[in-house]
Parts: sequence; structure tokens; C-alpha cells
Amino acid sequence: MFQIKPILSMLMRNKSGPLLLLIQIILSVAIVANASFIIAERVGLIARESGIVESEVFDLTVYNFDESIIAHEQNLIDVEIIRNLDGVKAATSSSMTPLSGGGWSSNFSYGTSEEERKDTPNAALYYGDEQMLSTLGVKLIEGRNFYPDEVSSGGPELASLAIVSADFAKDTFGDEPAIGQVMYRGNIGDQPMKIIGVVERLQSAWVDYSNINRSVILNTELGSAFTRFLVRADESAIADLKEAIPAALHKEHPNRVVSGFTTITEHRNSSYRDHELMATVLSMMVVLLLLITSLGLAGMVMFNIERRTKQIGTRRALGAKKRDIVSFFLVENYLLCLVGGLLGGLIAVQLGQQLMTLYSLPKLELIYPIATVAGLLVLTTIAVILPAQKAAKISPATATRSV
Amino acid sequence: MLSMNNISKVFKTDLVETHALRDFNLEVNEGEFVAVTGPSGSGKTTFLNIAGLLEGFTHGDYFLDGVNISNLSDNKSAAIRNEKIGFIFQGFNLISDLNLAENVEVPLRYRGFNAKERKIRVERALEQVGLASRMKHLPTQLSGGQQQRVAIARALAGEPRFLLADEPTGNLDSLMARQVMELLEDINKAGTTIIMVTHDADLARRAQRNIQIVDGQVCDFTMYQGGQSEQKPLTIADAASVA
Repeated sequence: MFQIKPILSMLMRNKSGPLLLLIQIILSVAIVANASFIIAERVGLIARESGIVESEVFDLTVYNFDESIIAHEQNLIDVEIIRNLDGVKAATSSSMTPLSGGGWSSNFSYGTSEEERKDTPNAALYYGDEQMLSTLGVKLIEGRNFYPDEVSSGGPELASLAIVSADFAKDTFGDEPAIGQVMYRGNIGDQPMKIIGVVERLQSAWVDYSNINRSVILNTELGSAFTRFLVRADESAIADLKEAIPAALHKEHPNRVVSGFTTITEHRNSSYRDHELMATVLSMMVVLLLLITSLGLAGMVMFNIERRTKQIGTRRALGAKKRDIVSFFLVENYLLCLVGGLLGGLIAVQLGQQLMTLYSLPKLELIYPIATVAGLLVLTTIAVILPAQKAAKISPATATRSV
Repeated sequence: MLSMNNISKVFKTDLVETHALRDFNLEVNEGEFVAVTGPSGSGKTTFLNIAGLLEGFTHGDYFLDGVNISNLSDNKSAAIRNEKIGFIFQGFNLISDLNLAENVEVPLRYRGFNAKERKIRVERALEQVGLASRMKHLPTQLSGGQQQRVAIARALAGEPRFLLADEPTGNLDSLMARQVMELLEDINKAGTTIIMVTHDADLARRAQRNIQIVDGQVCDFTMYQGGQSEQKPLTIADAASVA
């Protein structure tokens, strides 16, 4: 039986303890709701699929210091050497490594006039060859790959064909087909680039980039003396290849430095380390806050049972069943929890607005304060039920004894 | 109304057994006003607790208003306490955080009366004890006598078949004690059976029947006849014939 009115009367006439607990609940809800939202957002970021076979792909960089080396020719030789090693499935030169935190990006326009180059979409920019798709393991969903004879070597201005990610195609062309569209690269030159393929998903190098899934691959090897290669190999072969690749490249030309050998998985872990740390710290804070609040609730119930022993005995003498005593304490704490939850929820929304303004966080979704209050109700039940059941065992004979 | 046959109550610890009541026999008829006296530790409170279903007993039979009380479930006991018995405690046992109306309402809520019915009964009970005008006051704003009248109103609100009063005037001065006693007499005259535990021999004499408990047994009882001014002790044999 619910006795909301008399319980409210009792709470209103004996404010200090409940008020302190109420403040604790309000703060807990406000903080836990926002912290949970941030945790979910971070976990969501980390869980995004890159579209890449991350554990099989690693990068390496070759620094050619010998001025006699003709870079764009040497790079083609080097990539062939790598491709011919045991365990290698595919390899390509690349302007950047996905999820590595550093690389290229560019705006793309439909024309070359100043007007047409205003407010154009931005995308991560990969320069690579016909093995870029198979190296990364990305899925081609429209059009075709580059043919080997379509890949040029020597500089970015040579690019003439593009394979774009589905997100780039959608953001740029909407419902229009992307295949066959011609675009121009930012403010660099007037070379038209025709889109010949669309891949399902390809992430850029920057995990905090809002358009992380917008990527463009152009059909060019950059011809730089410092060249990055992406290699796909069986996971079991990667350790051996860390030794085999430098050995093979040095055999071809000893006067250079080969370094790197970081898998995309390792790049991912490194790039998301701050997010993981934030999610972990906030999770611990949430657990701690909820634990403290639960202990507060349980403590207050136990204190009230001690304080009200005679009252409980009297209630039992007057006809209260054990379940009436349990429901009395549950309702009392549910009321505190709901009032605290409502006020805490309002403060959580306000706090969310401030965080949105100050730290460019997304707007707090209402489900988080609601879920926090629901969770707190469950915790309240867990924290209160055992002491309340103990209270229900107080003998009605206590009413006639001095306590 | 109330029938106890060979009731015994034994409190056991690892070392000792204490017989609070032994072979306790008592019949109380409907409409009686019975005073229970006895020295401290004689078993008065244990008797009251068993009579009021506040605690169980070890052996014997107990019938209350025709219901066999032995082996009742906790819920059933609570329901009988709520419906058939009104309690008046020595320390009043009012809930200090609730006002008078809310205090009187407590057993009515456990009975499941709706708000309208509760309001009617609360007003009627507080009117009966002369405190209808103070129903929004807190217990701490009242004198001891007034608090006990509120406790009586709480006991009466559910219209119980009988009242159990545990030293109802024990915490009151003589004037207030007299007022409370007069109130109980009025309630008894209206038909409610009353069992009152008291130390006060003068108050006990105002009841129709006195039962003295010594060492957990009824050792003597005296029955008074007529009104307060012409009370006359009867012999045990006379009393048996009246009962």
C-alpha cells in the first residue's frame, strides 16, 4: 500500500537528512547523465568501422637520402620488391596511413572558377596505385578500380582518376550517381579528375575529423624521396616482414632508412587512446558516484530504521503488514529519487548545454537523464530493500516496550 | 470475546528459561472493562502483547472474537490487530512527524479505507476525544493528556471490538489521568470491551473487574458491581457466576 501523502509530510517536517541526500541525488544524476553521454559518444567513436582490414595492414616509410636515386622510379621498384616477398598479399605507395593521425586532405570543386571553388566539400586524400583497394581491404561497391597503366608516378598534379568513399559521394552528389562525375582538387591546379569507383567505407587519418568517412583515392604515386608504403600481409607473417622488407630494400639500395612497421590496429589504439582514457575515467567516476549515492540511500534507511524502531513497532501493532513497512521505506526513497532525478535531469540538460558551448560536445540526448534516473531507481531498490526487509522484521511488541 | 486457556509463554536463552506466563486462563466477555494489575515483571505486558497479537505464545489456546489465534500467519495477525483491536500505549506512540489527523489515519490506511472514508472517521474520532479543532497540530504541540486522547482517537477510528490499554495514564498527572479514564469509561459504556493494564489501584477499582497477575498466573480477581460511586467487591464465586 502506498502512503505518498504522509511520507511526503514526514519528509517535509524532517528536512535536513533527506535534503542532503536529495542534493547528492541531484548532483549524481546531473553528472552521471552527462558522463554517460560522453562515454557512449566516445565508445561510439571507437567502435566505428574503418572499412579496412586493420590487423593485416601495416605501414613503413623509406627515406632515400642518396641524391642519385630517382625517387619516382625507385618507388615503383621498391613496391614491386615488397609485393614479391613471402606473406605479402598486396602493397601500395600511399600519401598517408588511415587512423594514423597525420596525412593529407583537400577540398574538391566541380569547376575551376573562384566561385565554384567556394564552400566545396573536404575529404581525406589518398594517393596510391591499383593495389590500394586490395591492400586496405576496402569494398568497391560501384564502378571499377584503377588499371595498372592508369597509375602515374611523379607528383600529385598527375592525378586524373578518383575512387571515392560512399560518404563522400553522398555528401557531394546527393542522389546523383558519382561515377563519371568530374571534380577538381581544392586550389591546386586545373587538372580534372573523373570518378571511376565508389568504395563502401574508407576512414581518414584523423579520428576526431568530423567527416572521417569522406575519402578520395587518386591514381598517382607521389614520387617523393620520402615514401610511405602500405602493406597487407597475413598477420602471422608481419613479424617476419619487419625484418625481410628492410633487408630486401637495403639489398636493392643500401643508402636509405626504412622505418615504421606499425599496423593499422596499433595506429587505431594510439589515436583512440585519449578517448579510451576519457571513457575509462568517466566510467569509474559514474560507478563511484552511483556507489556513493547507493550507500547514502542505504545509510539513511538504516539510520531511519534505528531512529524509527518504536514507530515501526507501533505501525505493525496498528495493523501494518511486513510488506507495508518495506513499501514505506521504498516509497520514501523512490520519492527522493524521483524528485532528485527530475531536478538532476534539468541540471543535466543545462550542464549539457554548457559543455556543448564550451567544448563543442554534441547536445545531450534526453534518454541519458531518463536512463540515469531509471538506473538510480533500480539502485534505490537494491540499496533499500534489504534494510527495509530488516525493518519489517521488527516485532509489533516493540510498541509496548521502552526503546 | 477473549478466551485464553492454559496459555504459557517461555523466553529461552542458551542458559535460562523464563516463564513469563504459565497456565494462564482468562475469559473476557463482550462489553467488559477489565483492569489487569500486578507487580513489575509479573507478566502483565506479556499478557497484553499476547492478547493484542503483538507476540506469540508457547502453549495453550487463545480465541479472540471466535477466531483461533494459534498459528495465524503474520499477515492475518496484522489484519486482526487492525480490524478488531485498538491499542493505547503508555508512551502514546504518536508519530512526531505526522499531525494529529495523519496519526489517527495511520491504521485506517492499513485497513485500505479510501480518502473520503478516512476523513470521516478521523474527524469523528478526534471529535470524540475533543480535539477536532486541532487536527493539523503536531503531537509535540499538545500536552501529555491531549496526546493520549489522540492515541485513543487513533485506537477508536477503526471501530475495534476491544481496546487494549497499556498503562494509559502512566505518563500523565492525576487530573489528566482522570480525564483519560473518564474517556475510557465512556467508550466502554458505548459497548467497546476494554482491557487495561495498570499499576494504579485506584484506577483499577474503576473497572468492572480486576485481575491480578503474579508470576505469570492469574492469582486473584475482584469484580465490582454497579457504578463508580457504589462499587462493591464480589467474591470469586460470585464473579464466576457473573462471568
